Amino acid sequence: MLFKSLLILAAGLSGFVNAKSSAGDSVLVVVEPSKVGDYSIFFNSLKEKGYSLTFRSPKEESPVIIKDDVPSFSHVVLLASETKNFAKDITPQSLVELLSLNSNLIVGLSTKQTTLSSLAAEFSLTLPPPGTPLISYFPERSEPPSVIPITVPATSSPILSKNLSPVWYSGIPFALGDNPLLVPILNAPSESFAAEVDGGSADSIVDAAEKGGEGLWAGSSLGVVTGFQATTGARITWVGGVEVFSDEFAKKEVSKGVKSGNAEFAQDVAAWTFQESLVLRVDKTEHHLVNATGPSEHYTTNDQIVYSAYISKFNPKTSTWEPYSGIKDMQMEFTMLDPHIRTSLLPVPGVPGKYSVTFRAPDRHGVFKFVIDYKRKGWTHLHSSTTAPVVPPRHDGYPRFLSAAWPYYTGAISTSIGFFLFSAIWLAGDIKESKKKGSKSE
Amino acid sequence: MPPKSVRHPPPTTSTALQSLWNAYNDQTSDRLKFVDAFLFFLILSGVIQFVYCILVTNFPFNAFLAGFSSTVGQFVLTASLRAQVNPENKHEFKDVSPERAFADFALGSIVLHFFVYNFLG
Repeated sequence: MLFKSLLILAAGLSGFVNAKSSAGDSVLVVVEPSKVGDYSIFFNSLKEKGYSLTFRSPKEESPVIIKDDVPSFSHVVLLASETKNFAKDITPQSLVELLSLNSNLIVGLSTKQTTLSSLAAEFSLTLPPPGTPLISYFPERSEPPSVIPITVPATSSPILSKNLSPVWYSGIPFALGDNPLLVPILNAPSESFAAEVDGGSADSIVDAAEKGGEGLWAGSSLGVVTGFQATTGARITWVGGVEVFSDEFAKKEVSKGVKSGNAEFAQDVAAWTFQESLVLRVDKTEHHLVNATGPSEHYTTNDQIVYSAYISKFNPKTSTWEPYSGIKDMQMEFTMLDPHIRTSLLPVPGVPGKYSVTFRAPDRHGVFKFVIDYKRKGWTHLHSSTTAPVVPPRHDGYPRFLSAAWPYYTGAISTSIGFFLFSAIWLAGDIKESKKKGSKSE
Repeated sequence: MPPKSVRHPPPTTSTALQSLWNAYNDQTSDRLKFVDAFLFFLILSGVIQFVYCILVTNFPFNAFLAGFSSTVGQFVLTASLRAQVNPENKHEFKDVSPERAFADFALGSIVLHFFVYNFLG
């Protein structure tokens, strides 16, 4: 009996042995049951990595995504892009609450307008008018103009693997706002534009182009797959068309003998969204005087202070946090209301993961903070704040004799010496005179 | 001893100073000349400190005040000693003997130096 329960426990735990994400393995996939088979390559790749998938139809009531203010799953994938009415628990508000509770989302959109289209606007994504997918007549191909092979540029985001084959895409583009939390992953090709499926008439397109502004949706500034990293650290990826994850596109050839990059692209997007790649954390920070080993309770103005931070990066292959010295542009601020010192925190050669800087405490006294505030697109935001008081020098911390005052010191000392010599010689003269007088009077 | 005979000087201003210097040299006793030398040294010291303060820096202002007032105070005390000890002023200071004058001078100087070193920092 004991052996059997131990075996079951071991079997249950073995699911966690291949854990890949730094934030949990349970994934809820909301998809029409008839379409589950269309994404089997994507789902199998997730299962192989170690995620446990739960499938649910959009109109089903269970399993609920948030129960009693606790998210039931670490990650949610919404592939039901054409459903207009979801179950009661999937609303824009509940999805935003999921993000604030540190769950990650992949949301698929389509040319139809659903409740999720209004949510996209909250993330600074402007969707085109309904019924206008992305169209491109280049490169010449046998597929319809709404099925577009997008070449991944060489300098694209660090989220995607290098040398990715062109990705088949079919769906809508969106215009990216200037929210700094947006992380563009894949943009539309420059010769594409959003219009009705049949391409629209040439006149209407020319009119739209001349209107400017939101008249013509075209060019490579349009996003097609865009990520967004919330301030809590949760990641959400907006995908303009869910076919990018489908088996059909994964198997389709881009050109003679060259398979599309869809499968790999889907894996990269899932890896970033589910907190596998580009995940950093600050392990610890320490500060001390240059010659000391431990931290001081307080520092004096103009002290030389050493500040060190230890940063780790999550390695999804081994599911461990490894020290990471690859950040070249980290800054540290020594702040009291305003940063008095802002200096670069450079990696220490020879110690992986350690970043250190030595600086002079400013001339102001007060309570300062050592602040690390590192925000880069795609990477986890690093925040760290350590308080340290800085006191003015004690009364015996100042230099005893000032070099600028030496003429005054010599003046006063020479006056004293002169006085002593004068009175000594004066009294000697007095004694001599009184001796003389004494001898005279005799 | 009768004073030396004075030669008739030609009427120019530079030799007015010279005759002043000669008269001073002839008519003051050695003791008074000694006091005057001390006074001159104090003036020199005070002037040097003042010039340094104006030209270079008055940064430790307390040090300047201490050093300068040391020389000025000592000058005042020595000048009053000279006045009281000079035999030509005997009828002015009937009830002050030279020894009493010197004792006042010494006491005042010691108190002055005490304050100066406290303020010098």
